Amino acid sequence: MTKMRIPTLLAALALLLGACAGAGPAATAAPTTEADIEITGPVSLTLWHALTSDPQKGALEAAVKKFNETNGKGITITPVVQGNYTQLYQKTLGAIQAGALPEIVHAYESQVADYQKADVVIDLETYMNSKTNGLDKASQDDIYKPYFDTNRFPQYGNKLLSFPFTKSLFVMYTNEDVLTSSGVTSTPKTWAEFEQAVMKTTQKDASGKTTRYGWAQPLDASNFNAQVMSMGGNVMSADNKTVAWDGKEGLAVLQMYERLWKGGYAYTPTGFDWQTDFAQSKLAFTMGSTSSRPFIAGAMKTPVKWNVGVPPQTDPAKPRTVMYGANVAVLKSTPEKQLASWLFVKWFSEQQQTADWATKSYYMPVRKAAANDEVLKSYWSSKDPQGKQAFDVISSSIPEPNVRGQQEIRDVIFDMLTKVTTGKATPDAALKDAGTKANQILKENQ
Amino acid sequence: MSGGAIAITERAASRRRRGLIENAQAYLFLVPAIAFLGLFKILPAFYAIYISFFRWDVIQGAFRGLDNYFDILWQNTTRSQAFWQSLSTTFTYAAITVPIEMGLALVVAYVLFQKLAGRDLYRTIYYLPYVTSTVAAASVFLWVFHPQYGIANQLLGVFGISALRWYQEPDGVFQMLGNAAGLAVPDWAAGPSLALIGVAIFSIWHFLGFQILIFLGGLGNIPVEYYEAAKLDGASQWQLFRRITLPLLSPQIFFVFTIASIAVLRAFNEIFVLTNGGPLDTTRTVTMLLFKTFFQQGQIGLGSAMGVLLTLIILAFTLIQFRVLERRVTYT
Amino acid sequence: MNTPQVLPRAITRPMRPHLPAITSTVFKHLVLILVGIIVAYPFYFMVTSAFKEFFEATQVPPTLFPTSWHPENYAEVWSKQPWGRFFANTFFIAGVTVFGELVIAVLAAYAFAQMNFRGKNVLFALFLATYMMPAEATLIPNFVMMTKAPPGVNPFFPIPRLNLYDTYAAQILPFLASAFSVFLLRQQFLAIPKELRDAAVIDGAGHVRFLWSIALPISVPALVTVAILSFYGSWNSFLWPFIVTSSEAVRPIQVALNAFSAEAGSHYHLLMAAASLVVAPIVLLYLVGQRFLVQGVARTGIRG
Repeated sequence: MTKMRIPTLLAALALLLGACAGAGPAATAAPTTEADIEITGPVSLTLWHALTSDPQKGALEAAVKKFNETNGKGITITPVVQGNYTQLYQKTLGAIQAGALPEIVHAYESQVADYQKADVVIDLETYMNSKTNGLDKASQDDIYKPYFDTNRFPQYGNKLLSFPFTKSLFVMYTNEDVLTSSGVTSTPKTWAEFEQAVMKTTQKDASGKTTRYGWAQPLDASNFNAQVMSMGGNVMSADNKTVAWDGKEGLAVLQMYERLWKGGYAYTPTGFDWQTDFAQSKLAFTMGSTSSRPFIAGAMKTPVKWNVGVPPQTDPAKPRTVMYGANVAVLKSTPEKQLASWLFVKWFSEQQQTADWATKSYYMPVRKAAANDEVLKSYWSSKDPQGKQAFDVISSSIPEPNVRGQQEIRDVIFDMLTKVTTGKATPDAALKDAGTKANQILKENQ
Repeated sequence: MSGGAIAITERAASRRRRGLIENAQAYLFLVPAIAFLGLFKILPAFYAIYISFFRWDVIQGAFRGLDNYFDILWQNTTRSQAFWQSLSTTFTYAAITVPIEMGLALVVAYVLFQKLAGRDLYRTIYYLPYVTSTVAAASVFLWVFHPQYGIANQLLGVFGISALRWYQEPDGVFQMLGNAAGLAVPDWAAGPSLALIGVAIFSIWHFLGFQILIFLGGLGNIPVEYYEAAKLDGASQWQLFRRITLPLLSPQIFFVFTIASIAVLRAFNEIFVLTNGGPLDTTRTVTMLLFKTFFQQGQIGLGSAMGVLLTLIILAFTLIQFRVLERRVTYT
Repeated sequence: MNTPQVLPRAITRPMRPHLPAITSTVFKHLVLILVGIIVAYPFYFMVTSAFKEFFEATQVPPTLFPTSWHPENYAEVWSKQPWGRFFANTFFIAGVTVFGELVIAVLAAYAFAQMNFRGKNVLFALFLATYMMPAEATLIPNFVMMTKAPPGVNPFFPIPRLNLYDTYAAQILPFLASAFSVFLLRQQFLAIPKELRDAAVIDGAGHVRFLWSIALPISVPALVTVAILSFYGSWNSFLWPFIVTSSEAVRPIQVALNAFSAEAGSHYHLLMAAASLVVAPIVLLYLVGQRFLVQGVARTGIRG
């Protein structure tokens, strides 16, 4: 009898252990999670996004249409544009209070952190690792690691609360025609060279009034963060409890702003006018997101020679810049809707879609393998060489902080930049003041 | 009892019945109005107070008593600083806008009142801004006052004034004038920012027609005989204006002043579109701060407290106006 | 102030609009034209920019008159957003609001003006109080009322949750009762000659018949004024629909224009085209209904 009981005992033990171990690679009886359910009936979802203009808006709508037609599970998604990112953020907050949320929402990491204060965002990890509906390891590794990292939230147990969607990066745009006409031979690589080039390409009239500026810089926290990073500094401390942009690199950036603005070599543009000014050769340099490429190209009256690359660096051998662009988060609803939402997110990140998306929207593909896509390659070489230039820089891009309160901190940084560029405060005082305020906000949001 | 007495009591009884029926009818007529006003105006006023007693950070939290009010008024340094600064901005905005638009409206109404050709056409044009939506009109103004492409700077350039940044200029106008004249103006005397002046310009443009219309109506009520008699006595143009027109127009002046100041204290749409409270919060009025607290930060409890405070301020201001100014109104 | 010496005649003679003339007619016209230009310029600018092409619209210095006309800008604007839907939404919302507001205000105003009932003065004071209440105080609670109660929260007490977020109803209901319209119409009904009412009573007509057959027909100008003012308010409203809607299905025109300004970016010619589209119906309504408006404003009871 013992002879019979031991194998049964062992078998029972094995089953027990197998069940406890969960969906491990060796487990044969993998228990199903809510990521593995079947979608029974037609599902309709809403996607709120902030792509207000073409080509990006049209590209997204075309992609969603394709998904609706080809998913074969009866999933229909309606994209709704809610305005720019700030308005989308406000609308989503309002909808959280109203209890009327969309299923999928386009959002920056800092915004997702705030949404999760109300516990409305789902953890995509289960879905991503699902055997039936997830991404296998090779596929996960193919996505740029920084894109993943930025969507993990340390304040929420490192959960994957969003997924890369409309990624881009911070680059410097150089109008080569303007450079050559002013006698600047090459695109500046260091900040010192950059300042020289800005001053050289600025034209002033007899009375000293600037007739053509060298540099137009929209004031924005992300731009500032990128410039701090390119000077070798960090944006947040290692424990994410205080800011680090109020150190010597931040001061160096502000001092440069002060020098160039005061001297009449650089200015703060209104809205998106810097795209038009750059395209019409009224500027030599501007810095911003790679996703501005189509608008600049569209504003060119006559063709201009221009390029895109990392911003000037303190250490050109180890270039650093900021990763831009937003992600997509799935909000709590029914298990079917959540799964359907994930299926869209997954489909969107697949190689063919991401390459197609990059071609049409001027955003970056999220996968390394996409660079091998023939359509994308030929598009880059024939129509959009700046796209390839931007793509080559992705590995130097670093994500911005995704902690709670970051949205508010962005306003603090914006005010600091305004004060310095309008001469209302010295870089030193403005930086100290902003740093204190930012740390206060971080503390309140712990 | 005589028949007459019975008839009287009967008539009295039927009158009472009619009275009761009329009572019931009146209430029936009033029910819809009372229902909607009650649900959307009166009850929410109480709810606002209720909400303001809680910590409400996207979702309802703990009871805080008057803490939200204390936070706004002095307890929380960031919030109270913002509140008092926004109050100061609001009153500065009112102080700039109201006198100028009233003065202008009075002058134009006076001129328009003369028998002139094309009077109706002028009136039509002047009233047009008032009926145009602020969102549409403000986007036009942004363009007219655009630092690079706007015509305002083009015109100023003719006079040798370099391009102004209008809705993006946080510097105070007194400081700017001082700098232009080579004087150093201290920060506390910097004055309202150019952006705030820009918003005021929009506001004046928007309300002018409405005020002109009211003054026109008032001017028409002044008996012409007063003027004739005074002219017979040898009064001058200015004396006529000061001693007859102004006093007899005072009911309208008072009305316009009240309406205009309340409107400007509550202004939101144009500030939202033109500057969104910036630059550097120099156009952040109490309503803008309320909106940001409520909609952008999700702080519903604090926002509600701010709304209650704003209501009290407007009520107090209106009461003061009535007590101080109404006495000086001459009614015929 | 000099006492006029011709008073008896003054009372019987009708008042003619006439002020002592300012000396120079030229001066008068100059002032009026200058003000007129400043007032009208934004409209002129809006319409002319709408027809310019992109490079001319962003030209420095700006041209006063388009060198080439591009009406296709309007087609481009129309294709970028479902403007037809937005216009339809706004007409629907405004229409229902105007109709509802008129009905409710007529009934209430008539009751105050022509009926006697207990508590009349108290109720009227209540109406007055709501008129003084600024929207800021009630904005947030109204918003909370429109939301859905989160699980575990009582949807009736202390704040009723109507669950009407992102609907037409949310944009219409709060505006159906307007104390201002009640005041305006009450003035009108008060001014109905007593003889008419007495005659109707003798004929045995109750309030309902009197209201319907006599009071309303002679009050048409006032009703039109209220309707026009109410329509403006609804068409031009921005803040409330902005916070209470999110989908395009129920979005009204001002919210759409604001969203479009983000979309147009630096393509100002398109933004101007959109703005002129949004403004056009109101300007039309104004030009047609002007005289009602002028009378209505003068009628707001600011008698000396």
